[in-house]
Parts: sequence; structure tokens; C-alpha cells
Amino acid sequence: MKKFMPVEELARDERFHQVTQAERMRDGRSAFSANSEQSRRSSNRITPERPDASEAARGLMHGIFVGEIQALEGAGRTCWDFTTGEEAPFALKLDMARQAWDEARHVEISVKLGDWMGSEIGQFAENTVLFQAACSNDPVLRLAGVNRALEGLAIDVFTTMKEFGEVAGDPYLEFCEDWMLADEVTHVKMGSDWLRKVTENDPERRKKALEFQNIVDKMFSYGGTRSDSDESSIGLARRFRELAGFTDDEVEYVAEVSMQALNERKAMIAEKQAAARR
Amino acid sequence: MTITVTPETFHFVSFDAPHTARIAARVATMLGLDDIDIDIVVDETSPLARVFVDAAPDRIVVTAHSGALEDTKHPTNQSDRATTLALSRALLKARDRVRGGFADAPADSALELRQTAAWDVHIVARLSRLGMEINKQASLYNFRNRHGFADSVDGVFETIWSIEATTWSELDAFSARAATARA
Repeated sequence: MKKFMPVEELARDERFHQVTQAERMRDGRSAFSANSEQSRRSSNRITPERPDASEAARGLMHGIFVGEIQALEGAGRTCWDFTTGEEAPFALKLDMARQAWDEARHVEISVKLGDWMGSEIGQFAENTVLFQAACSNDPVLRLAGVNRALEGLAIDVFTTMKEFGEVAGDPYLEFCEDWMLADEVTHVKMGSDWLRKVTENDPERRKKALEFQNIVDKMFSYGGTRSDSDESSIGLARRFRELAGFTDDEVEYVAEVSMQALNERKAMIAEKQAAARR
Repeated sequence: MTITVTPETFHFVSFDAPHTARIAARVATMLGLDDIDIDIVVDETSPLARVFVDAAPDRIVVTAHSGALEDTKHPTNQSDRATTLALSRALLKARDRVRGGFADAPADSALELRQTAAWDVHIVARLSRLGMEINKQASLYNFRNRHGFADSVDGVFETIWSIEATTWSELDAFSARAATARA
């Protein structure tokens, strides 16, 4: 079986259409700025108070669904891509196998939640940015990118969806998101623990892995989709990140790059919209 | 009947104004609105899926954010299905206001979220009976979000879904009953 699968070769049936992060970022439209009273909201956070709450929740749920598929593929590839013992300890691969099992369950839960909310598999484009972070040829970088950055984003997303279910009074959504959130906290912790253990005597490799994590964190800020600001649809779940082993400094860093990504996106949108008016 | 689509040329999305007008004409004919002028204004800078309607006896103005007409699988591209559905919803709502029993309904901006959801159920149920492809579960989920997740709420949803003709006050009473039943 092939090792180090590139993102272009992910297996999908005809229901799916994949887009890259670069394609998504080229879209010059935005819910951020207010052109008129009627055309924008004061907050973009996904909450039941939004007039388009159901559509927004369905879109985010589909994003979670494809994210779970890619997380499953990422964890599974880590079990296969690296030689046991020489490149990755057996216990690390066992943890990744356990994570793949969790992600497979999350995919099934997400499909059922999608049915419950009235969406269809493949109804929305699949952004492949998550798997792109899982393509590193160093298992430590992969742990930093997937378990710490990607699963960290999953904590933020699940917290937003769990709160949505709680406020809307949707018992299934709240319950399912809460259980998946618990798994994601474990996955982040796994990544944090292995990152420390594997690089214990290799400070240079640890530094490289943390730098890679920072890059991925910025990438996963999705041009401001996730931040502390109400202008972002997904909030930063500080408490659950803390439980997952993020230090205060690390949470602050994510908050900072997320705000930076939001501001960069707003500036880019403003520029594009001004150019269109000229 | 004249139909205008603004803007005529799109910069942020790959939409086609004449094609949109043709879809609107088809929908207007299907709904018996071919004697009213229709203006469609697309806010192409917004990816949201919101649609607003202003209805007067001689003119209907539909303001749609681009997300309402978009192919969500191929972002920024227009979807015939989404365009047809969004315009059908908007024009049927307008017909309710000018020719149905909804003249006393508050303006769109003054409607409560539960009222909007109940009206939308009444609209998409009729479109479904006209042969349009409708996701009933999506409509039910939105109704539950606005009225509560309870069997009694689902019962009211089914009642609204099956009604062919009603008035604003009757529909609002159904919605209020669902919200109260949940509590």
C-alpha cells in the first residue's frame, strides 16, 4: 500500500466536491463588513438567534463531517506511513489507531446529525486543508499539526456546536457534540504528550514542530472564521483547550493569530470590494 | 410583466443576470404572478443565504444575498435549483401578502423568528405539492429550532405542512400554540 498519500489522491465518491483553502480565500464575499442595515449582522457567531441559524448550523455540521473523515485519514496514515520503532514508537501508533477508531465513530455520528438537521452528504464543498496538515513526513510535525492544531480547532468547533444545541434545546446535537468534544480533548492531550516525549532529547526538533504547529494554527484560523471576536462564526474554547493541555501562552498565541487572520481577511475583503466599486 | 435583475454583471460570483430573470419569469408564471413587475436585487458581496421581499400590488422587490442562489458544492457558482427555490419562496410569500390572507402580516423585518419559520413551512409545503424538490427534514429542523424540540411541536409542523390555504392570523396562532406547547 502506498505511503505518504498526497491530498489530491484522497478517495471520495461522486457526491463530494473538494476545494483548497486557497480557492476559499479567493472568494471576495464576506459576512464581516456592514454595507447596509439589512445585509449584515452585528455578530457572525453561530447561535440560534441568527435568522439563518439552521442553514449556518447545517453548513458547519457538514464541515465537521468532512473534517472527521480527513482526521480519520490523517491518524490512519500516521499508523501506516512510519516504521514502527525507528520512526515512531509502537505506543504512539497505538494511540493513532485508537484515534482513528474515534474519528470513524465521529464520522458516523456526523452523518446522523446531518440527516437530523436536514442536510445531505456532499451538499457543501469539502475544504481539504485539514488533511494537508497531515501530510508531513516527520511524525512529530504531524502530531503538532494534526493533534494540536487540527484537533484544537475541533475543540473550538464542537464547543460552538454544543452551545448551539444547548441554547436551541436540541438534545441530540448537544449530547453528540459533548461526547465528541471529550474525545477531541483526549486527542489534543495525546499530541501534547507525544510531542514532549519524542522530542525530549531533541530541542531542535521540538522547536521545528512547534513552529509548524503555529503555521497550521494560523492556517486553521480560516481567515478569521475562528477567533475571540463575535465577527467570527466559531469562538475560541479557552477552557477546553486548557483541559487539553494547552498552556496559557499557547492559548494566547492562538487567540492572537486568529485575530490577525481575521483582520487580514477583512482588509483583503475591503480591498476587493473597493476595487469592484471603482 | 417586466423583470429586472441587478447587477447586470457580477464581479464576486459567477451568476448570470438574464438567466436569473428567465428563472424568475418561469416561477412567476407558475405562481400566477405574471401580471406584476418584479425587481431582483442580488447583494453579491454577501455569502449569506438571506432573502427579503417587499410586495405591493403592482411591484415585487426581492433582495437576495448571493448565498441564497449559490451552488454550495461549487462556491461562487450559481445553482439553478437554489435560484428556483429562493425565488419561488420569495414570490409565493409576496403572493400571500398581496393576494392571500396575509395583508395584515408584519413586514419581514418585524417578523419574529418563529413566525418566519412557520410561514416558511406553509410556503415550502405548497411548493412541494407543486412538484418542487424540497427537503422536508430541513424545514422541520428550522421549525424545531424556532419552536422547540418536542413531539407537540412536530404535530403543529405537520398541521401547517398539510394546509393548502390559511390566513396570517391563523398561521400565527399555530406558531404561538407550538411555542407554548413546548413550554
